[in-house]
Amino acid sequence: MVLPILSRFQEDAHVKVVEIEPGQTMAEVAAACAYHSAGVHVAPRPGVTLRVRPTTDGDDAEPWPPEVTAEAAGIKVYDCIDVYFEDS
Amino acid sequence: MLGRSDWYDIARDTNWTPSYVPREELFPPSMSDPYGIALEEWESFDEPYKVSYREYVQTQREKDSSAYSVKAALARSNFYDQADEGWASVLKLHYGAVALTEYQACQFQARMARFGPSPSMRNMSVYGMLDEMRHAQLQLYFPHELVNRSRQYDWAHKAQHSKNWAVLGGRHAMDDIMMTRDAITSSIMVSFAFETGLTNLQMIGLSTDAANMGDFTFSNLITSIQSDEARHAQLGTPTIEIMVRNGRKKEAQQAVDIALWRVWRLFAITVGIPMDYYIPLAQRHMSFKEFMHEWVIRQWDRQVRELGLDTPWYWDRFLDDIENHHHCQQGGIWSWRPTVWWNPPGGVGPKERAWLEEKYPGWNDSYGRYWDVITGNLLNGREEKTHPECIPIICNMCQIPISNRPGPAWKARPYQRDHGDRRYNFCTDVCRWIFDTDPARYKDHETIVDRMYSGEITPPTLDAVLTYMGIGVFSEGGKDAHDYAWAEEFRAQAAE
Repeated sequence: MVLPILSRFQEDAHVKVVEIEPGQTMAEVAAACAYHSAGVHVAPRPGVTLRVRPTTDGDDAEPWPPEVTAEAAGIKVYDCIDVYFEDS
Repeated sequence: MLGRSDWYDIARDTNWTPSYVPREELFPPSMSDPYGIALEEWESFDEPYKVSYREYVQTQREKDSSAYSVKAALARSNFYDQADEGWASVLKLHYGAVALTEYQACQFQARMARFGPSPSMRNMSVYGMLDEMRHAQLQLYFPHELVNRSRQYDWAHKAQHSKNWAVLGGRHAMDDIMMTRDAITSSIMVSFAFETGLTNLQMIGLSTDAANMGDFTFSNLITSIQSDEARHAQLGTPTIEIMVRNGRKKEAQQAVDIALWRVWRLFAITVGIPMDYYIPLAQRHMSFKEFMHEWVIRQWDRQVRELGLDTPWYWDRFLDDIENHHHCQQGGIWSWRPTVWWNPPGGVGPKERAWLEEKYPGWNDSYGRYWDVITGNLLNGREEKTHPECIPIICNMCQIPISNRPGPAWKARPYQRDHGDRRYNFCTDVCRWIFDTDPARYKDHETIVDRMYSGEITPPTLDAVLTYMGIGVFSEGGKDAHDYAWAEEFRAQAAE
């Protein structure tokens, strides 16, 4: 099953539609989103860990643990997530 | 013989009282005036631009003669053989976006000519209808001779029959403000918000740049069209005055606020991107931002307040958008260039970037970072990385990719609304507000992305989307206008 979600990747100009699977972990979701942004529209930062959190108005949600799956996190079609560098 | 001033007002204002059918049947409120304003009020409608049919025909004939003779003269030169490919892209974008939209405008004027509650409004709209027909014919005929240079010019005729994402954006907005409203609301939305507010962008902005490019055909064409717009745009002002005088300020205000935003989102792309990126640096006469402030912000806002309306509630957002929206969409359109029918120039070589930083302080630290990645890919043999393998989410109102300032500011975010069993994504709180004004009106439309996941486009792949949008069908899609020469300038600069 393919789940189209909205990737709000740190420093990107666009919110992108990224297809994930419900069983993917947040680390895998971050990597899937990074594939479409880092090195395409955002400078890549090798070695820096990416974190994932729900998009909120205040940009202040807690990140999900990397091992949590999209399904367990309750991510649904067109949900928007922030993908950001851990040291930022 | 009577002088014109002796008979004009009587002829123009002559109305009749229907006796075979009730007035409501002749002028159904849903097509005419849904606000219930008294007929006597509408009969006070007085637009300042008075013209008789004889004068109209004579003037239009002279305008047409001028436009066609300039075209014929330039056709004998080799201008289009030598013109910069960036300028060719301006023409392809313009004709595809505008030519058949003029036919829609003709139908809009015809609705006012038939259902306008005021006789003088109906009279003026007849001229407006003929104006728009002339504009459509000119803008179909002029690009036709260019089709043998590139099939991409054929989008002048084909675009509005396609499901290209950029066309969906224009069609959604024009269907909303121009094709599906009553005569009164659409006259406020189109004649005032659109034509009075923003078509100056074309006349003074694009037309001056066209003359600087040496394209006197296009410059003359646009000026000729705008001289009509300046006349029939006058229809909106007395409509608003009557609305405000009769306790309908709130409704008039909402119509202005919706339409200005809807048309602005499109014009920033069709005019702002060409002015700041497509036209070669040497031929630019002012930045899009300078133009917007000098010709739109100051003049239009003053006019709004003189009419008794307020500045649109989203004015701060609008001012910010003037410095942001078209830069984001230039990046997006260039990145997803195979999806459009013109060849977008990057327009971000060293000199162009210095100009952008001067005109838009902070450009380098925001949009510049986005282009740094692209430039690096081009200079290091990774051209394939300049083609994203996914799609951006599209706004459910303006149908434009949801984007905002990149870099440290990181402003891009969707404004969402759950309604019924669907989730809607919007680029801004303004587009979401427009949806909220009448969800039943907008809820069933699907963006190109929605269509990928609703089963209309199968399989939901980039290749299938391109075919669905007419790319590879009507013409090839876009590629960089200058084969990445702008990026190579950085290599040359580094070697110096």
